[in-house]
Amino acid sequence: MALVLIRTSIIFITLLFIMRLMGKSQIGEMQPFEFVITLLIAELACIPMADSSIPLLYGIVSVVAIFILHQIVWLLDLWFKPLKTVICGKPSVVINRDGIDEYQLKKNNLDISDLVESMRAAGYFNLDDVYYGLYEANGSFSALAKEQSASPSLPLIVVDLGKTDVKNAKKCGFTKESFREFLKAQNAKPKDVVAMTVNGEGRVYLQKKHKKYEILQIEVNEKW
Amino acid sequence: MVKSIIYTLSAVLLCIGLFVFTEWFVKNQFEDFSEALDTLYAKVENETANREDGFAVRTLWNDRKEKLQIFLPHNDISYIDYWLSEACGLIYNKKYAEALGNIEVLKEISKNLPDAYTLKLENIF
Repeated sequence: MALVLIRTSIIFITLLFIMRLMGKSQIGEMQPFEFVITLLIAELACIPMADSSIPLLYGIVSVVAIFILHQIVWLLDLWFKPLKTVICGKPSVVINRDGIDEYQLKKNNLDISDLVESMRAAGYFNLDDVYYGLYEANGSFSALAKEQSASPSLPLIVVDLGKTDVKNAKKCGFTKESFREFLKAQNAKPKDVVAMTVNGEGRVYLQKKHKKYEILQIEVNEKW
Repeated sequence: MVKSIIYTLSAVLLCIGLFVFTEWFVKNQFEDFSEALDTLYAKVENETANREDGFAVRTLWNDRKEKLQIFLPHNDISYIDYWLSEACGLIYNKKYAEALGNIEVLKEISKNLPDAYTLKLENIF
C-alpha cells in the first residue's frame, strides 16, 4: 500500500512539473496543481472501479494520497511565498505600455493569434485597446483597458512573431512586393516584426522587436 | 486552517497505519501458507502424501485467499490457485516427482509475492 502512495506522489510531482513547463496555454482557469489533480483523480478512481482484479483499496489509497499532496501543496502555498511561484507560477505581463512582450509570450508557449483570441474573449479587439494585458497564474487573461477603443473595426493578423500570413496580407491589399516595400519603409523585415495587424479602416498596429509599437495608416482595398 | 491540518495529519496517520497493517498481514498469511507447503513438500518427497493432505493445504489457502484479495491484485493470487490445483491433481494420481516441481513453484511464489508489495526501491520504480 505504501508503494501506491509513493508511486502516486511520483506521478503527481512529474505531472505538476510537466504542466508548469507547458505554460499557461495548457491550463485554462486552473492552478497547475489543481489541473494535475483533476487529471489524476478521474483515472485513479476509474481503474479499480473498472478492473475487478485490482483491489478497491488501491484506488482509495491513491485518492487519499492525492488529498494529502493537495493539502501539502496548499500549505506550502500559504507558508512559503517563493514556493508559490515555483508550484503555481506567476502572472505574465504580455502587453505593457510599449506593446507586446515577445519574451513573455514565448515563455508561455503562446503566439500573437492566441493573445488576440484571449483579448477578444475579454472584450478587446485591438492590440492597443489595453494599457496592460496579463495571463494570470491560472491561465486566465486580465487587462487594464484604455478609456476608448482604438477603432470599431476588426483587425487581421498580418505578421505573427515574424511569420507573415499571406492570406490576410492579400486581404489588406498587399502584394508580395508592396508588403516588402511597406516594411522597408518602416525599416523592418518580416522576421523583425513581433506583430502587425491591419483593421478594416487601414489602421496598422506594427511592433518591431525590442521597440515600442507604432500606429500607422494605409489604404485598404475593401472594408471589413 | 487548523481543521485542514488535522484532516491532513489524520489521513497521513491512517495511511501509515494501513501500510503497516497490510505488510504485517500479508506476510503473516503467506508465512502460514509456506509452512503448510513445507509439510506437504516433505510428505510428497517421502511419497506418503495423499488426497487429504492436498485438500488440507487447499482449504487453508482458500481461507487465506479471501482475506488477501482485499490487499493484493487478484491476478497474482490466481497463480497460486493454478499451481496448487495442478499439484493436488498430481498428488491424487500419485505422480510425486512432478508434484514436487509444482510445490517448489508454489513455495517460490509465496516467498516472492509478499516481497513484490513491500516498500523497496525496486518495487517503486
